[in-house]
Amino acid sequence: MNIVEKLSKIPRQIIFLVMAAAIIIPLITPIGMPVNEMPKTRKLFEAIESLTIESKPILVSCDFDPQSMPELYPMLQAVLSHCFTKNIKVLVMALWPQGAGMGEMALDTLSKVFNKKNGEDYVFLGYKVGGAAVILGLGDKIKNVFPMDYYNKSLDSLILTQNLVNFNDISLIVSLSAGDPGYRTWLYYGQSKYGVRVGTGVTAVSAADAYPYLDSGQLVGLFAGMKGAAEYETILNRYKYRLIDRLATKAMDPQSFGHLVIMLFIIIGNVSFFMLGRKK
Amino acid sequence: MISTDILVWVSALLTLCIFSFLYKDNPFYRFAEHLFVGTSAGYFIALSWYNNVYPNLYVPLFHEGKIGFVIPLVLGILYITRFIPKISFLIRIPIAFLLGWGSGVAIPAGLQTDIIKQIQGTLLVPNAFLKWNTGLWVSIIFLGVVSTLIYFFFSHERRGVIKPLANIGIIFIMLGFGASFGYTVMARISLLIGRLHFLLGPWLGIIR
Repeated sequence: MNIVEKLSKIPRQIIFLVMAAAIIIPLITPIGMPVNEMPKTRKLFEAIESLTIESKPILVSCDFDPQSMPELYPMLQAVLSHCFTKNIKVLVMALWPQGAGMGEMALDTLSKVFNKKNGEDYVFLGYKVGGAAVILGLGDKIKNVFPMDYYNKSLDSLILTQNLVNFNDISLIVSLSAGDPGYRTWLYYGQSKYGVRVGTGVTAVSAADAYPYLDSGQLVGLFAGMKGAAEYETILNRYKYRLIDRLATKAMDPQSFGHLVIMLFIIIGNVSFFMLGRKK
Repeated sequence: MISTDILVWVSALLTLCIFSFLYKDNPFYRFAEHLFVGTSAGYFIALSWYNNVYPNLYVPLFHEGKIGFVIPLVLGILYITRFIPKISFLIRIPIAFLLGWGSGVAIPAGLQTDIIKQIQGTLLVPNAFLKWNTGLWVSIIFLGVVSTLIYFFFSHERRGVIKPLANIGIIFIMLGFGASFGYTVMARISLLIGRLHFLLGPWLGIIR
């Protein structure tokens, strides 16, 4: 068996080990590869940046579960940190059942760090089943869909939400989306029907599908996967915003090395395939 | 420093059980897989009851006496007839209701979002050509949309001007597949990084 034949039959366990090494080594000894800022990320940053303390609240929808946490949770932390630093009021909700846990965890941590009060600076609405029906209901009357917040307090009793009626009282919706219901549901029933501005952070798997909505102006901006989160963290860091952690930025070294290993194996596979093919 | 939190240990050991599948299928992997499925189902049922059924059906119907809520209750119960062969045909009623409502709501929204707005975004408007680079990109997008649509036009034999345009369409389709595959690889590596970061950080304390 010559070297080409050996390369064409690398055991998958070896490939997994090489991949693990390519991730673990840069995690332990980071080299700090630069993160370039893409226009799509910058657009969503600017949409949030343009808001002030007097602006209507921003609605963050946690449409993901723990499986997508590495990509979307850093975005959630960064968006909340951005809003809290600028004293922008925030409503957090979820169209996914486990998204409620993600939202609560982020709010618990960040409200303490930024000294924000539940009911005044932010309100956590929790999860509601229905996807499209929930969004249509919110566009009609928010308190019909969420009469209470996650902690069973009436929205009428909370300073932030007592005068809240519908999407006219929301400045921007940011859907952190891992699938359906997610950013497309918000576009279908929120943006198209009610004209509310929608931005999104998506897992890298669905990023390519989101680009057409960005180019057509239906999305105000887009965070694409962990790289998008890292770009957003980098912009916030450049503007001296306070971040409790830069989870996504730290992951960019192993991400780059992981890509290099995949490319290497694709090249090896193709070269050996064609060389062996010619022999036959 | 290595974690002393029992929950972190449980999480780490279950992660290793799942990773063990990379070597080959084994009882540890199957145990973690079944545990995940069971826990997820239980979590979803509890959450659905406390977040949806109880506040949106049980309280209005049985505590507040709103009799109209009998209708969604009956429609919901009809779903269960699926398991009783003699009356299983009744499941068609809630399905018909849901399909009717769903189509009525989704079709206009889909047309607006995916057709009308996307066509508007593809049109070559004069303003786009005020700068050479935006003009170039909108032209490429226009060519991509038209040539891809022509590729999927099967009612006419591919000859004359149709043939080269359909071939250009194939290039755009392949570029789309490539971008999707690249992003998919990126997503999977991100998930791996997330788990390894957890094992090396919160569990083993090697990284912060």
